[in-house]
Amino acid sequence: MISLSYYIACAVVLYIIGLYCLASKRNMIKLVMGLEILVNAAHVSFIAFSAYISPGYIDPLGHSVVIMSISFAGCVTALALVIVTYAYKHYKTLDVRKLRRLKW
Amino acid sequence: MFTPPLDTLLVFMIGTPAIGWVIHKKGYPKVQGIYASAGLLVAAYFLYGLSQEVSEKGIVLITGPLPFNPPFGACLQIDVFSVFMTMVYIIIGLFTTVYSIKFMERDSGLTEYYTLMLGMVAGMTGVVFAGDFFTLFVFWELMCLTSYALVAFRKQKWESIEAGFKYLIMSAAGSATILLAMSFLYGMTGTLNFAALADRLANTSSEGWLYITLALVIVGFGIKAAIVPFHTWLPDAHSAAPSPVSAMLSGVMVPTGACVLIRILLLVFSSAQPAWQMTLATFAVFTMFGGNLMALLQNDLKRLLAFSTIAHMGYIVFGFAIASPEGLAASLFHIVNHAVMKSLLFLCAGAFIRQTKTRDLRKLRGIRRAMPMTSAAFTIGTIAIAGFPPLNGFWSEMMIITAGVRAEMIIFSALMLTNMALSVVYYFRLIRVIILEKPTKVSKKTTKAPISMLIPILVLAFLCIFIGAYPVPYIDASSKAAEAMLNIRTYIDAVLRGL
Amino acid sequence: MGIDRIRLAGLTTVILAILIFWMFIVEYDFPAFKYVDPDQPPELVENDTSIIGQRVSRFLWNYRVIDLIAQAFVLFAAAACCMALLRVEERKR
Repeated sequence: MISLSYYIACAVVLYIIGLYCLASKRNMIKLVMGLEILVNAAHVSFIAFSAYISPGYIDPLGHSVVIMSISFAGCVTALALVIVTYAYKHYKTLDVRKLRRLKW
Repeated sequence: MFTPPLDTLLVFMIGTPAIGWVIHKKGYPKVQGIYASAGLLVAAYFLYGLSQEVSEKGIVLITGPLPFNPPFGACLQIDVFSVFMTMVYIIIGLFTTVYSIKFMERDSGLTEYYTLMLGMVAGMTGVVFAGDFFTLFVFWELMCLTSYALVAFRKQKWESIEAGFKYLIMSAAGSATILLAMSFLYGMTGTLNFAALADRLANTSSEGWLYITLALVIVGFGIKAAIVPFHTWLPDAHSAAPSPVSAMLSGVMVPTGACVLIRILLLVFSSAQPAWQMTLATFAVFTMFGGNLMALLQNDLKRLLAFSTIAHMGYIVFGFAIASPEGLAASLFHIVNHAVMKSLLFLCAGAFIRQTKTRDLRKLRGIRRAMPMTSAAFTIGTIAIAGFPPLNGFWSEMMIITAGVRAEMIIFSALMLTNMALSVVYYFRLIRVIILEKPTKVSKKTTKAPISMLIPILVLAFLCIFIGAYPVPYIDASSKAAEAMLNIRTYIDAVLRGL
Repeated sequence: MGIDRIRLAGLTTVILAILIFWMFIVEYDFPAFKYVDPDQPPELVENDTSIIGQRVSRFLWNYRVIDLIAQAFVLFAAAACCMALLRVEERKR
């Protein structure tokens, strides 16, 4: 078993990658994917802790949180994609930098 | 299932589509709104019963049907603070629902609208009732999901879609940040129950990872509470949403973020208290300045009110950062006052916009002649929110400043006083534009607002005057709620030693 | 690929953030389960793929009922949200 720090590092690096994706991607669907990456960082962290609590055993609390949180992430993604559909209908493009009519 | 108030809200949320389906066949669209308001009234009645129970027992603990095992069972832990906040949510929700019966009558999809409004109130109630971090997260997601759809409700306009998308991305990133912070807390202590977390993390010496988790929690909840670097979704979302939804978002949902933030900071991060106090106070000052300075430049009525919300959230977060009983009581009282005043302002703005079809302040000049009662209520709300003595805004803002001075945060209190003076400039601009100037073509042609929209507006205006004239019972209630928040030992004992 | 300014700034920030975080994690070890209360041990499950699903479900239904019921309401609300946004506007011209 490799040390726990590697899993935590993986979770935080995923989180940073998710934030990078939200900050600098142009396609709206890529932004929605970035949201999923952010949530998956937390999931990796939960499962890692749940497995390392005691060698050979797992703690079901971490797993139950992840099971429920995956469905919430799915709901948010569904809603986000509906909004992206309408944005495409209004703006005729998927480029989020064109959504700049609301300023100041 | 859960407690009666929360159950009622959820059951009525499920019943609304059934009523809507029946209505669709018969054709009486207003019944859905009346059904939703009735649901809120029933929930208010049950909440009254629950508040009796809480005032005798101190804390009411709701666990599942099987024997409760504290560190990893889900629970709802209801204390005076939860009941206090839920009362605010249900009252403001009731007024906005009654108002939207007439306001939204020309929109389609009213069934879903009332379902989502009830869902939002249910989510906010669950958020303050939660005793376990993951239970809080579940109800937080309920609140957030319903608000995303309500902001983007008028989807045929580009503005709602753009604002809704921006809001969704930022708020969902905040939720993911909260989840990551939750995972670190689970990693450190092995539990997610607030009482157990408070117990186990009470005496930690300075731990680097605790500070990282603290930063993640402040960022995650701060995005929803409109703290300044993360506030950019708020002006767009509040101007693009339909006006009753703006009143709900601005009046009660944004302060919910701040309430949950301070709850978690007091309970879980009590060992890092000096650190988060200074951080929150600094963010609060930036928020106040950001909100007030940007509001001076606006020409759009609802956008100006949205920036004013950001400034008031700065005052509230500053009161929370003081973390003394007087500071917390002052902030809770200010949340009540702000909810009343800001929803009054947004509902009046909605009446103006519905009658004149424009949001531009330059075109809404002198609308007093055409819509006298709405303008009078709007003036009362503006004077109250600017903090003038006989009305309710004055008492809570003065309480925050006195609490700040007493807690030795004198520079911050002086900055808050400066901000209040700065805000008077744009509030008086609103009054001058609505009341004193000569009417333009647009505002001459409008008709008065319908009576069923006027009733909530006038009741809220009356509440402003009433709370301002006799604030003592409300200050007492806020003090009791603040005491309950600071009473961490009782909170922990209620769960871990068995009630 | 076409690297423009924002993307370059983003990449630099990400690499800096990962470096700073790497220095932090080498310095401060994560206090994994340091604050566990020995009087309240968790209910552990053996790490055996054939029984984990069943045991975790049993845990969920025994201890996390409130979350599960609330999740059902959240899924209902998500469906209501999508219906609200995907509704058909009648043309009243």
